[in-house]
Amino acid sequence: MNRKAQIRMTETVAVLFIFFVLVIFGIFFYYKYSQISILEKQQELLGMRAIDTTLKILFLPELSCTKGDAEPEDNCFDLSKLGSASSVFGGSAEHLSYYFDIFKYANITVHEIYPDSTNSWTIYDKPKVIMEEGREIKNWKDYESTFFIVTLREESEGNPKYRAGYLEVGVYS
Amino acid sequence: MENKRGQIEVTFNWVYILIAGAVILLFFVGIVMKQKTVSEDRLSEDVVRIVESIFTAATVSEKTKNFVGVSGISEYTLYFDCENDVGEYGLVGKGGRVEESITPLFSPQNIKTSQLITWSLPYRMPYKVMDFLYVTSINTKYIFLAPNLQVADNIFVREFMNVTEGFNVERISEHEYQDLDPESMYQIRIIDSGVGLVRDNGPVPEKLQKMEDDKVTAISFVTPGQVKFYNKEGTKWKLLNRNPVPIISLGGERDAAKYGAVFSDDDESYLCNMNKAFHRLKYINQIYGGLDIGNGVAGGKLMEMIQFYESQPEILSRKQSCISDIKTASSSLSIALSQHQSNVLACLRSINCLDLIESAQNIAEVNERLRLNCLTLY
Repeated sequence: MNRKAQIRMTETVAVLFIFFVLVIFGIFFYYKYSQISILEKQQELLGMRAIDTTLKILFLPELSCTKGDAEPEDNCFDLSKLGSASSVFGGSAEHLSYYFDIFKYANITVHEIYPDSTNSWTIYDKPKVIMEEGREIKNWKDYESTFFIVTLREESEGNPKYRAGYLEVGVYS
Repeated sequence: MENKRGQIEVTFNWVYILIAGAVILLFFVGIVMKQKTVSEDRLSEDVVRIVESIFTAATVSEKTKNFVGVSGISEYTLYFDCENDVGEYGLVGKGGRVEESITPLFSPQNIKTSQLITWSLPYRMPYKVMDFLYVTSINTKYIFLAPNLQVADNIFVREFMNVTEGFNVERISEHEYQDLDPESMYQIRIIDSGVGLVRDNGPVPEKLQKMEDDKVTAISFVTPGQVKFYNKEGTKWKLLNRNPVPIISLGGERDAAKYGAVFSDDDESYLCNMNKAFHRLKYINQIYGGLDIGNGVAGGKLMEMIQFYESQPEILSRKQSCISDIKTASSSLSIALSQHQSNVLACLRSINCLDLIESAQNIAEVNERLRLNCLTLY
């Protein structure tokens, strides 16, 4: 009788053990799967943010080429506005806070390709950092860049001159 | 003895199975419930994120009307709010929501629809400040109370009816006003363009009285540049703002600020969204005139214009009038920009925003003069 009971008990323990092993295996599998899908989702959102930010910059009244009351020129930046943009975007804590709501953690640079490929303007740079012992330490996992061809308009009386360039928008996650 | 032990053992086994089964069942029911809440939250966040993307795209596609099918969320109600210069929208009763402190978004307070309509217009003061975004739905009806479209005051009504093709818009005369029928509309907005039938404590058309109070709103233009907001309260109209709200714009066609008043439910959300534009105007002025233009110190694009002439004496001698219009004349661009920035700062301190119109007109006038023969500001 005792022996029979012992065998039954061992059987029950074995069943329970296998059951819990399966449950733990399931939880582990689900956790790994969730981790991968969260990472994929983060990548997708970062890419979307890069495109959204680029779109916003291309139509930003602070940079775009205007023609009086007519519609602004598409994909064109006014060089005389570019010069003052960085001081306005990062002018004070108030400016930074306002433009952070538009660009978030990003680096926005306009490069000239022709005629002078050495020219470039960094108009906004807000990397994700933390302060440790008075030093800024990098605190981003990923950086996604997008590029867009633009024209750069140089004002001159009656007949503006155009240069070729590209916009580089990098977003930090 | 053996039988009794067997009976106890069998009973014990069943009790054990029942308890263990119930615990396991509860465990999985718990997981399912948790998963259901997580999925609903995720769905609402996804919906709000997609709506945010739609709005971003709509804002930059200037003057384009977008008709967006949202039948998947037609059971949910989208809400829009704006307080202390910060807007917020999301799904009523769900977790997902977006705070919007930059883009002015003019819309009814609630939208429950299978088709959203988005539209944007540029706001100029006098140069482009930003795009205003209008959000409405196919089941929100705009009814213009304007008997005669030939009257000068009704030019806006004629323009509105022409440019909002695809929107739910109707024009009626004062005789048709009392018989207004909401049909199956979710909400109704009446725009009284000077007829005077919409007034404080005035009667709401009979068939509209059955609708919920917040689903029937109205505005009346006291003058083309001043507006009063109303809400249905039982069978009567209730005036929401004692003093008419001024439309701060330069007028003309497609007046973004005036369209904003038509699409806003009340004066508070209208002013809140207009304030977002005035904040942006402060920074745009600094792009054109420099960070310290409010104190009369030129910088930014204005400084580049001045340097263009002053650094080239051969040009300067030929273009004395240009530098005069930009820098030295009593009505120069430099002075006009400085005044404009001071007016923006006063407006943001809630002193007076009406002066913005005059200073913007001054800049526009100088810019037009410069257009003939000189560098222009915008």
